[in-house]
Amino acid sequence: MMFKALFVCLFLLCLANEGEATDHLLYFEAQGIAGYSSELNKAIFYSQNPNAEMQKPSIGFDYIQRFSGESGDVATLAIQGRLALTVNSERESVKLEPQIYNAYLKAKILEPYVWIGHNRPAFGLSSYFDSHALLLRTLAIEGFGYDRDWGVGLYKDFSWGDISASATTGSGMPIYFKGNYMIAARASYGVLGKDNMNLGFSAGYGNTLDTMGYKLLTPEPQQMKLGGLDFTFLLNRFENRFDFLAGTWLGEKTYALFYRFGVNLDQEGRFKIEAQPAYWRRGPERDFQQSVCFSYLATSNLTVRLAYFYDRTENDNRVILQLYYYRPVSWLSKLGEWFKK
Amino acid sequence: MQALGQKRVRFQFWNLQFAICIAAYLAILLILTGHTAAWGAVGCDLNDPDRDVARLFPESTGYKTHYVSIDRKGGQPLLAKIETKLGDKFHGIYETIDVPYTIYEIFANKKKIGYIHGVNQKGQFGGIQVFVVLDLEGRIRGFYIQKMTSKYAGKLRDANFGKQFFGLTIKDFELYDVVSGKASGKVDTIKNPAPEAEADFRAALRATKKNLILMDEFVYLPQAISSNPGGPQK
Repeated sequence: MMFKALFVCLFLLCLANEGEATDHLLYFEAQGIAGYSSELNKAIFYSQNPNAEMQKPSIGFDYIQRFSGESGDVATLAIQGRLALTVNSERESVKLEPQIYNAYLKAKILEPYVWIGHNRPAFGLSSYFDSHALLLRTLAIEGFGYDRDWGVGLYKDFSWGDISASATTGSGMPIYFKGNYMIAARASYGVLGKDNMNLGFSAGYGNTLDTMGYKLLTPEPQQMKLGGLDFTFLLNRFENRFDFLAGTWLGEKTYALFYRFGVNLDQEGRFKIEAQPAYWRRGPERDFQQSVCFSYLATSNLTVRLAYFYDRTENDNRVILQLYYYRPVSWLSKLGEWFKK
Repeated sequence: MQALGQKRVRFQFWNLQFAICIAAYLAILLILTGHTAAWGAVGCDLNDPDRDVARLFPESTGYKTHYVSIDRKGGQPLLAKIETKLGDKFHGIYETIDVPYTIYEIFANKKKIGYIHGVNQKGQFGGIQVFVVLDLEGRIRGFYIQKMTSKYAGKLRDANFGKQFFGLTIKDFELYDVVSGKASGKVDTIKNPAPEAEADFRAALRATKKNLILMDEFVYLPQAISSNPGGPQK
């Protein structure tokens, strides 16, 4: 079903009107992932877990469409999907999995922007920092919250910062209706693009489901009551990102934090090295991770990332190589023009 | 949230399935990377168009977003023409032929009143983003550096620095040599507010000239009328 939906989306995008100037952008995306896990003592073809959505060998697309009236833009549609290959090293099984990331319609209603669909909940660093192509994981990617969730949200930017809120299903990639929901809000100070810093405060409440990728791990929703603090600071060639949350997550007392330090090694940002320690505690479970990632933008389309992960609980040392390809496409549109003929 | 719960097993070399998977993906990537010499990249958008357009064009009531690339607009001949006007080759990840440039067409009710356009440019500590605000004749009426991580960014983003660009056109920037950094005429009067950030200052000037040339080709020149952004005013 998901596969058909993804294919239909792609086909419709092919039919998008093309011209010298357009009101949409279409990108093609492909990535290859391979690595080694000392805990499994095997080659692996995912960055985190076979059930998690990120990162896996995949091909996909990223589409943005603007809708305009006579006096300006009125709405934006964003659709981003992948066909991912899940290679389970333990079971030696391979399966294809369609995935939907962005799938929302955004419009300005009165003052704020309002979105509906599958988008980032208004909690923590992940609410504005896009990780969908990266190897290093935010807290949401680690499972404390959702990188994307189904629902509605709004945000408004000010000269001093922004505020955002969301009401979502609390299920992440899949949609379930088991009494699950998540309400989140975030206020931040500083405009990252202008001030090179952003300090955010978040709060979230609800009954949420424990999911990993499209897999439901526990049948019933559990209480969520979280507060969070995140901070981004950019200076010269250095990038600092910090995220902290505390409260109740999936019914257990939880706190989690990470700090990501990055250095751009050249004037174009082609070479970058990042290090990230992360620590969390949820109920009786606790873990410490250390990761380092080297990125090289080989061409403007192709990024090569090499990362090392250490997980204390699993006693796992992991090395991952990623080739990530992302480029605007016109041949797909030409295919659409051919279909239209 | 569940622990991985994996059992320890003896090391296994890649089996046939794994090898096929990897080979297939590497093949796809090789085909794609070899598909064309024309590299693509991500464009330069305003972080928050509603807020920024209202600030840069206070009399505006709306804007339309258009995406244009050299690739689609005129291909290699257009790129060569732009490079000649710039006096330098396009190079690096920010200056590929298929970069989708975002042009904001500004309206006061249903009347078009100008444009906002930004470009990426290699700076001292990574990319910088330089936007110009233009009237319908291509005259700069606003200047805005969005992304810049240098500790001197505040000085280059200062309104007094931006005001030095007001009223300038592509004609003025024709007298600026982006390679040597030498200028004459009005561009020569633009003062660097942060001598320590000379590289970023020159990057901002190069970006402005590039920006104006692109807008000239995409919007203002007579043959550009066929594209939506530069279409005749209703």
